[in-house]
Amino acid sequence: MSGVTRPIETPRTSALRDLLKTFLLLELWVGLWVTLKNQFRPHITVEYPKERVELSPRFRGVPRLRYHPESAEELCIACHLCETVCPDDCIHIVSEKKPDGKGKRLVSFEINYERCCFCGLCVDPCPTKPLTAIYMSHDYEMADYKRERFVAPLKVLLDGTDPKDYKE
Amino acid sequence: MTQAFIPQIVIPTAQILVVILVLPLAIAYLQLVERKVLGFMQLRLAPRRVGWHGLLQPIADAVKLLIKEDIIPEKADRFLFTLAPIVTVIPALAALAVIPFAGASFTLGGYEVRPFITDVNVALLYLLAISSLGIYGIILGGWASNSKYSLLGALRSSAQMISYEVPLGFAVIGVMMMAGTASMVGIVEAQKAAGRWYVLPQIVGFFCYFIAAIAETNRVPFDLPEAEAELVAGFHTEYSGMKFAFFFLAEYTNMIVVSSIVTILFFGGWLRPFPNVAALGWLENGWLVLLPLTLGAFAGWLFGLKTGRGLPPMAAGALIGLAGGFALSIGDVAGLATLSVPFVSGAFWFFLKVSLFLFLYIWLRGTYPRYRYDQLMTLGWKWLIPLSVVNVVGTGLGILIFPGR
Repeated sequence: MSGVTRPIETPRTSALRDLLKTFLLLELWVGLWVTLKNQFRPHITVEYPKERVELSPRFRGVPRLRYHPESAEELCIACHLCETVCPDDCIHIVSEKKPDGKGKRLVSFEINYERCCFCGLCVDPCPTKPLTAIYMSHDYEMADYKRERFVAPLKVLLDGTDPKDYKE
Repeated sequence: MTQAFIPQIVIPTAQILVVILVLPLAIAYLQLVERKVLGFMQLRLAPRRVGWHGLLQPIADAVKLLIKEDIIPEKADRFLFTLAPIVTVIPALAALAVIPFAGASFTLGGYEVRPFITDVNVALLYLLAISSLGIYGIILGGWASNSKYSLLGALRSSAQMISYEVPLGFAVIGVMMMAGTASMVGIVEAQKAAGRWYVLPQIVGFFCYFIAAIAETNRVPFDLPEAEAELVAGFHTEYSGMKFAFFFLAEYTNMIVVSSIVTILFFGGWLRPFPNVAALGWLENGWLVLLPLTLGAFAGWLFGLKTGRGLPPMAAGALIGLAGGFALSIGDVAGLATLSVPFVSGAFWFFLKVSLFLFLYIWLRGTYPRYRYDQLMTLGWKWLIPLSVVNVVGTGLGILIFPGR
């Protein structure tokens, strides 16, 4: 448990010691002592719905989109880079020219979570700085009853889903 | 006739009913304790969802088993398949008939109630005979299931039980020689007269008996008949619902019976520790303090705070129990302190010892891997049988050299 690896010691053996070891059942007592000690050690079970494991900062949950930090619009500039790089083709973007003629904006942005492999490759090329428009969130509870619900539309991608109670 | 009716018919019947009704409940909770202890040994939490700290888990399990579909395989021998669990459970229950739970009897409504169903002078032989009957149920069940796993489990079980029956019998002979009787009550009385438990002179016998008994009850590390890694579930692979519950009941009843026999034969039954040291007499009358102390420590350990589990909650429980016990004995609530002390005290020590052995069973299960088949046979035939025979001879020599001791 300590994480320190010690070199394996080769025990010095003698016939008498081996005999004693066998007859006094030394190894059996050692085993019993280990299990007895364990009774008084804190458990390592995480009672999942009540308690949760602390996720590491780079944990890759479902990919989601970010809002623009200053406006209520999405941060995405519809460059289609994530769609291009996605190895599973699970991102589907429809975009149009902005009315003022500068740049593009999203019409729809869908991620098919059924196909997504959570590789995070879509985040790397995202050109918006300093925050990427698409990011790997820390949500990992995504079981559902209907296949259609795994295709997340723009609204779900931006706002996330409410915690489910898994009842149909 | 009417005079003999109540003490000879009504009271034994009532005793049998009490044993049969209390036993399933005790076994259900024994199983909860087993799961808790195993969980703690593996740094898990064990059942915690059903009821407070999983206290209702056994009830839920029992209800589940009762309402489950009772499947009989199509090609199975229906009659024997149904008969097998009954044949297994009846000897297990019958063995309890000769187990004395306490020393002194108590009076109920003017009639003397003895703390055992019966006391026969061949109790030990009866127990050996009855416990070897249980194997028939396993063989029948394994054969009638018409499944290869069941049959293999049953075959292993029969070979194992036949091998270990021999050291089991020999190990007991030493105690019989020292006590001069095969009656369970007589054996404890002999230990009382000798002023010591038989575990000291009979340490080899105890060792042989306990190992052979674990093998007889098919528990880890000798659980080859139901080796789940190899044989699915062994002889009860095809069983479900009520019939499976019967096998389960029989296994745990056998555990309790074996623990009781070990307690009676080697650990003085209902006698307090060091029955020859008069200075420890308070152990005899101190059940009112000792019982809450034990229960408190046990509860503290079992239901201790989740993260800080360990010795602190155990000690806290023991302290609370101790305080409660003293409060009870000083306040003398409801005349508890004077409540048939010899009976309750005897029962307390008996059940404490039995519990410790049941814990040992679980402890071994949590520690040791399963024996390989040939290792099992080697242990039985090459070690236990010679050892127990030597023990018989040694005991005989000891009695010859130090007569009256």
